[in-house]
Amino acid sequence: MQIQYKPPRGLLATLFQAEIVQGMTLTLKRLFSKPITRQYPDEKPDIRTGFRGQHALVRDPETGDTKCIGCMRCAMSCPSRCIRIRSHKDKAPGSRRIIDCYRIEALRCVYCGYCEEVCPVNAVVLTEVFEYSSYDRPSLYFTKEQLLGNWDRFVAQLQVPVNEYVNPFWRPRGLPEGDLPAGKRMPVSPEWSGEQQVVGKKWRQQQSHLNTTAQEGS
Amino acid sequence: MTRPIRQRLEVPVAGGDGERYSLRMGPQHPATHGVLRVDLELDGETIVECTPQVGYLHRGFEKLAETKTYAQGLILTDRLDYIAAMANNVGYCVAVERLLDIPVPMRAKYIRTIVAEMSRLCSHLLWLATHALDIGAMTVFLYCFREREVLLDLFEELCGARLTFSYPRIGGVRQDVTGSFIDELQRFIDIFPSRIAEYETLIDTNRIWLKRTVGIGKITGEEALDLGLTGACLRGSGVDYDIRKHQPYDAYDQVEFAVPLGSEGDVYARYRCRIEEMHQSIRIIQQCIDQLPPGPIVDPDAPDLVMPIKAQTTIQAGRSEYGTGLIRLLRDENIYITGDVYVATEVPKGELGFYFISDGNNRPYRMHIRSPSFIHIGALSQIARGELIADLIANIGSLDVVLGESDR
Repeated sequence: MQIQYKPPRGLLATLFQAEIVQGMTLTLKRLFSKPITRQYPDEKPDIRTGFRGQHALVRDPETGDTKCIGCMRCAMSCPSRCIRIRSHKDKAPGSRRIIDCYRIEALRCVYCGYCEEVCPVNAVVLTEVFEYSSYDRPSLYFTKEQLLGNWDRFVAQLQVPVNEYVNPFWRPRGLPEGDLPAGKRMPVSPEWSGEQQVVGKKWRQQQSHLNTTAQEGS
Repeated sequence: MTRPIRQRLEVPVAGGDGERYSLRMGPQHPATHGVLRVDLELDGETIVECTPQVGYLHRGFEKLAETKTYAQGLILTDRLDYIAAMANNVGYCVAVERLLDIPVPMRAKYIRTIVAEMSRLCSHLLWLATHALDIGAMTVFLYCFREREVLLDLFEELCGARLTFSYPRIGGVRQDVTGSFIDELQRFIDIFPSRIAEYETLIDTNRIWLKRTVGIGKITGEEALDLGLTGACLRGSGVDYDIRKHQPYDAYDQVEFAVPLGSEGDVYARYRCRIEEMHQSIRIIQQCIDQLPPGPIVDPDAPDLVMPIKAQTTIQAGRSEYGTGLIRLLRDENIYITGDVYVATEVPKGELGFYFISDGNNRPYRMHIRSPSFIHIGALSQIARGELIADLIANIGSLDVVLGESDR
């Protein structure tokens, strides 16, 4: 496809500077429309669900501690290797691993969300908090207690009850339930779980056309 | 390569007294789009020699990728061309899939095509904004950012990030699209052609814009091919080369679109090509939305994010096929097929190629990135020689370089 190069300009348009008048009219019209600028520190932006922000460890309502089982999947999949976990196991049979130390270096993190996606028990999460800059580095090397505190702060400003909160990376939208470990099969809307997918209207038309021809054929 | 421009220099230039002096432009110069340094030899205001210096943003991604698994390597591509990160992600995934022979479900292909074209719109909008700002048109800058904001909000809705998406994954995508996302995108592409018309009203026939762009930075098709230019820089010179059309990947063979071609090969032709490409992107997105099929979004055989073995075998523990990949891993056998592959995709800047060598391990033995920006900067000395120093700004802008990609 050949592009249209420089459009021709008549003598009158040249004389009266028509294109400049047109441009000025456009900007003048814009003067009377609603401004789209948001004054950030005073006006907070709308953060969409599933925004990958500050890290947190989910506090288990039953035990009051983290849900982490020390499987190391998050530390293994982390591309920037910013997660460090130390855990030990009690001698008593059937006991789960106890987390001694769970540290995330927020300054090294790239916010890819792999950790929350691979976590089998939804223990780690990237919350929708994005304002947590600091004047010193040590306060951004999150310890387990800080991460649990991050979760508490996030829950306090959450609109929905905690037990109904599902992060899109805990249960990726559209993944079949059979592919997910038991902890990630959280109740979600049929669109989220992939039972009701949004499809194109042309695809629907083709499908109905195929169905009618198949019926006529039979 | 000899250029007639060299002979033009023999004639004494107005304002120049024949005495040359050198000037270092950048790396902090705002019009160099990041950290490009250009060493200039000047005669008056005419450029005699122009040597671009790159490397200020070098982060060693090619070496770094050798220490990361294929899934982890994806996040490096976010930081190549950071204003069109989604196109890089898609290019990386297409390359790895072809290397490891992983099929992609049709729905994922369509979603990827949609997001790659949205990324192209993002990139072209930012290019138009900054290019116009460099030349002196401030209003276009603000208008373009208005539309780019909508696209970034859409990306945030889809994958939770506005700049470093990491959205596709090897063998599909990470999240399915929702009805609200599709509706919002449909509203955007309905309104967007009228917004392009606004930009055209502002600068298309503006005489200042024409004075700064027409006949500046001329490059013929043959020269562009010799210099290795791709993308709109090559198509502005009239060479019909678009990987989406000629070696289709993802769902590009399922949609109809035209490849805009210029003939003059100057800054204005490249500008017109990119504006037309935005119209074509809209067409592609509309067709993809209409044809979006249902189905899975990730291939069941795709590697898991955490383990290099097949996703299903790791998750369905206890089933009969469990452990096939794991046992191969423990036995120190090859997990993947060995070999090498070069896969090129059409990103907004041009041809982005990934060259992988696999030695059967779960990480690439070598990854090479053929980044269009690096090659376009190399062409700058040929294009800018013999022109005025003010036109160098227009030339850098119209080549559309991003230093993150060039220095990688």
